[in-house]
Amino acid sequence: MPSRPDEDGDHLLRVIDSIWRKTQQSWRDDMARHFERAHWTPLLAESRAYVGALRECLEMMSAAERDTEF
Amino acid sequence: MADIHADIDALRELADALARFRHAQREVAERGDHEIEATRASLEAKAGRWRSLLARRQADLAACQQPARDAAAGATPDCSAEARAVREAQERLDHIRRWQQRVDEEAGAFRSTAVRFRDLLDLDLPRTENHLRAVISGLEASRRIRVAGS
Repeated sequence: MPSRPDEDGDHLLRVIDSIWRKTQQSWRDDMARHFERAHWTPLLAESRAYVGALRECLEMMSAAERDTEF
Repeated sequence: MADIHADIDALRELADALARFRHAQREVAERGDHEIEATRASLEAKAGRWRSLLARRQADLAACQQPARDAAAGATPDCSAEARAVREAQERLDHIRRWQQRVDEEAGAFRSTAVRFRDLLDLDLPRTENHLRAVISGLEASRRIRVAGS
């Protein structure tokens, strides 16, 4: 059974976050701190907001389908 | 001189992973949009079916009531089953219409988040990747200078 897009989006976020954490272990200079503040944190926040909104939206779509099966 | 502590291979891996992330999340966004549109189309199809059914049942009810209207007097036919069927079709159609309205509202609210995310994938993330690759190039150049100077 194919997974839902929001589940895939969530999985991708967990994967990229784990790669970032691994990178952090070997990148600990001023550029790393700037990258985290200016690029990484907004990227993660925006992506999480999208995946959460997509999940809510698709849950409503599923409810609409179920509730109109007569 | 600024403190430099970075594993270039790890940064390359991160840059590659970000590019994969961008492509895969774009696909997620496309599938998300597709599912929303599929649900809207499905609800419209259901509403269409129940509109047709309602029209047919209303015609059945009218046909049932016609003899009573034609006769000046006489026994009134029992059209309660037809009337019940009309009510049922109307209720179900109204129910589907309410869901259509809710789905449209939810999809509209979601759209602004989706547009921001698309911008992130199409504009911000490539900039992030370019920034990271510039950092990598800078580090490589700095390493080359250090090796040449040692």
